[in-house]
Amino acid sequence: MLSNHSSTIAALEGATKAYGTHRVLEAFDFTLEAGSVTALLGPNGAGKSTVAGLLTGRLQADSGRVTLFGRDPSDQLARARLGIMLQAGGLPETLTVAEAVDLHAGYFARRLPTAAVLEQAGLTALANRRCDRLSGGEARKVQFALAIAGAPDLLVLDEPTTGFDPDARRAMWDVVRAKADAGAGVLLATHHMDEAEALADRIVVIAGGRIIADGTPAAIKAQVAATAIRLRTRLPAERFRALPGVAKVETVGADLSVLTTAPRASLEAAFAIDPALQHFEVTGASLEDALANLVQSNRTALKEAA
Amino acid sequence: MMSDVLIAPAPAVYARESWAEIIKSARMPQFIIPTIALPPAFYALFALAMGQGSAEAATRALATFGVFAVMGPALFGFGANIAAERESGQLELKRLSPMPAGAQIAAKLAATTAFSMVAFVMLYALGLAGGVALTAGQWVMLAGVHTLAIIPFALIGLGIGYRLGQKGAIAVANIAFLAMAVLGGLWMPIAVLPQAMQTIAWALPSYHLGEMALMAAGQREAANLWLHAGPLTLITLAAALFAWTGERQQAK
Repeated sequence: MLSNHSSTIAALEGATKAYGTHRVLEAFDFTLEAGSVTALLGPNGAGKSTVAGLLTGRLQADSGRVTLFGRDPSDQLARARLGIMLQAGGLPETLTVAEAVDLHAGYFARRLPTAAVLEQAGLTALANRRCDRLSGGEARKVQFALAIAGAPDLLVLDEPTTGFDPDARRAMWDVVRAKADAGAGVLLATHHMDEAEALADRIVVIAGGRIIADGTPAAIKAQVAATAIRLRTRLPAERFRALPGVAKVETVGADLSVLTTAPRASLEAAFAIDPALQHFEVTGASLEDALANLVQSNRTALKEAA
Repeated sequence: MMSDVLIAPAPAVYARESWAEIIKSARMPQFIIPTIALPPAFYALFALAMGQGSAEAATRALATFGVFAVMGPALFGFGANIAAERESGQLELKRLSPMPAGAQIAAKLAATTAFSMVAFVMLYALGLAGGVALTAGQWVMLAGVHTLAIIPFALIGLGIGYRLGQKGAIAVANIAFLAMAVLGGLWMPIAVLPQAMQTIAWALPSYHLGEMALMAAGQREAANLWLHAGPLTLITLAAALFAWTGERQQAK
């Protein structure tokens, strides 16, 4: 299936979507490729779920073109190749896990056998449990099982591992990875940076309805070249927010974590306002920090432009 | 053909969806007991025990209680269940799947029909025991009117379910259920009600269906059929519009 790897399976071309007078997306272009995991990151309200909603046909674009497997997303032939895990997904309370999976799989001609779906989703032991007797994490697994049951060519996962323990998360990541390696496209909307870093071939960062970064996880990290400085100080965090280069300040235990694009200038300024500063530690930023920095500098750029 | 490879055959999907709908409801005792057992129980109590063995009273009550038996499964099966499935996101997941658009409604209709049939069989058996004597043709017509009754009530249930949350839908379905039973003359003839209330009956599908069921059972002059079939058709069309606009509203 490697031959499919560079083919576009879903696209937004100049898509615009507004809720009332609030424009979430404007002239938005985006494509998804087969055989790769694309993580959609960004602050709440940035337009992540709108992008996913347009591609899956849950939402209608006000203008522009949306295609899924070369068709309109509401086309039955397009939906037959799509597996979705919504963020808020209820289950038929009185059906068993196996019955619910079997019913949903039955909508797809290429469906996987129920036993195989349950096994992949880690639900074999719960096959005969009623859906209203599942824990939050177990119910989430059933949602995932429904998404993969039709052997989809595009898997759209919205915050898939919320409520999972570390083992369950890794198990699900393995299954998603295997689906992508077998040729499926995966769109992953998540708040968990470690999830994006572990799973994604490509990270797309959205803020304010625009793509502000698009690349491999390594490229995204390199693009910002941010540095995290950990300080022990008696001064309040606010004093450090105004320092040159500083994108974000967080309290971490007894310390402050200062994210900066100009570590030298920031450190010098920090010594100037707190001559008593003794303990500090300078490290490369995590992906999470890099993203916070990206979003922050995008905001600043927009303000300056306005 | 691509479509053969990708799309599951519709009849199979309809059949599975219907079966799932039936077992989903059958496993909810809070649904099954009031909707199926209540009409025969009321019939036995009010019509048979209190009717002092009059075959005519038993026949009249059988005609109207058959309509009553449909209202529970239709109003709650559609109204409350659709509202719950919409609220929890189940409906959305189905809408985004390749499931044929009509399968959901067809399945609910099949389940409502199945549960109504169970209630009919119990009612008819009680009726026979209570001295109801109808010709084969009358039985067929009576069962036909009772089955027909599913459509307007299901549409009203749908309109409620698409508009309200689960709790609201249950409350409104309960009010509609009781109002249509009492004001539609299903428990006792509307002649015992005040004049103003009798007028309301003309706007209720339960009233016209009850009258038509009485005609089928030979208890009313069948020449007046259009007097009730006409308004019932209009009410059903209005209910269809109510359901359709509700569906449009939630599809946005």
